[in-house]
Amino acid sequence: MLLFRSEQHVDRWCRQWNRPRGGILSLDQVWSLATEWYGDRLNPAWSPKTAAEAQSAFAGIGLVADFWKLSP
Amino acid sequence: MPRKIDALPKQPDLDASLRLYIYRFFIEHQRAPSVAAMAEGMSHPLRSVRAALERLSQTHAFVLQENGELWRAAPFSAVPTAFPVKIGRRSYYGNCIWDALGIPVMLKQDARVEASCGCCNFAMPLGVKDGQLLPHEGLGHFAVPASQWYQDIVFT
Repeated sequence: MLLFRSEQHVDRWCRQWNRPRGGILSLDQVWSLATEWYGDRLNPAWSPKTAAEAQSAFAGIGLVADFWKLSP
Repeated sequence: MPRKIDALPKQPDLDASLRLYIYRFFIEHQRAPSVAAMAEGMSHPLRSVRAALERLSQTHAFVLQENGELWRAAPFSAVPTAFPVKIGRRSYYGNCIWDALGIPVMLKQDARVEASCGCCNFAMPLGVKDGQLLPHEGLGHFAVPASQWYQDIVFT
């Protein structure tokens, strides 16, 4: 995931790379993902999120569109 | 013929110990340990460590280079990226903006992420203090749908 100044800069990047626009998040949503994914990473009992847990975490911050579905 | 990784005996204790060894090495040395250093540091045969790394890489949290050395131990990158993170006198590299913010979260430290716009390289430093992201501008963009993230990890 890259950081951009604005949606205009996202669109310019997409044109440069000949790719469709993907999924856009606010930085507060990115921060929420960071805290959700890495807050317990040094816990010896850590285990990776299941797909259902990850999907639930996305939904919890409003990422519910098809783009965010982990299963096609 | 080499055995498939799935056919190797599971060693959950080794995998968990290696995972923490790698993270602690990254935190202390600001770089990835070589596979040889992991084997020596953990007093395990090289073959066992390589097999454990392959199992860890199946979680997608760890990604190996073609030569078998570490490329990523999320949120850390073993190679320089456009997402340097400064914590006190120490510097790390995140794999993306999500991971760059994940480093101070993981270490529970204040940090400065020397990020820039993916389009024009305009400097967009981000600060983390007392467990909060400081006021900021900008947004994140995933180029690849979530269902395809690990098929195209670079663009992801």
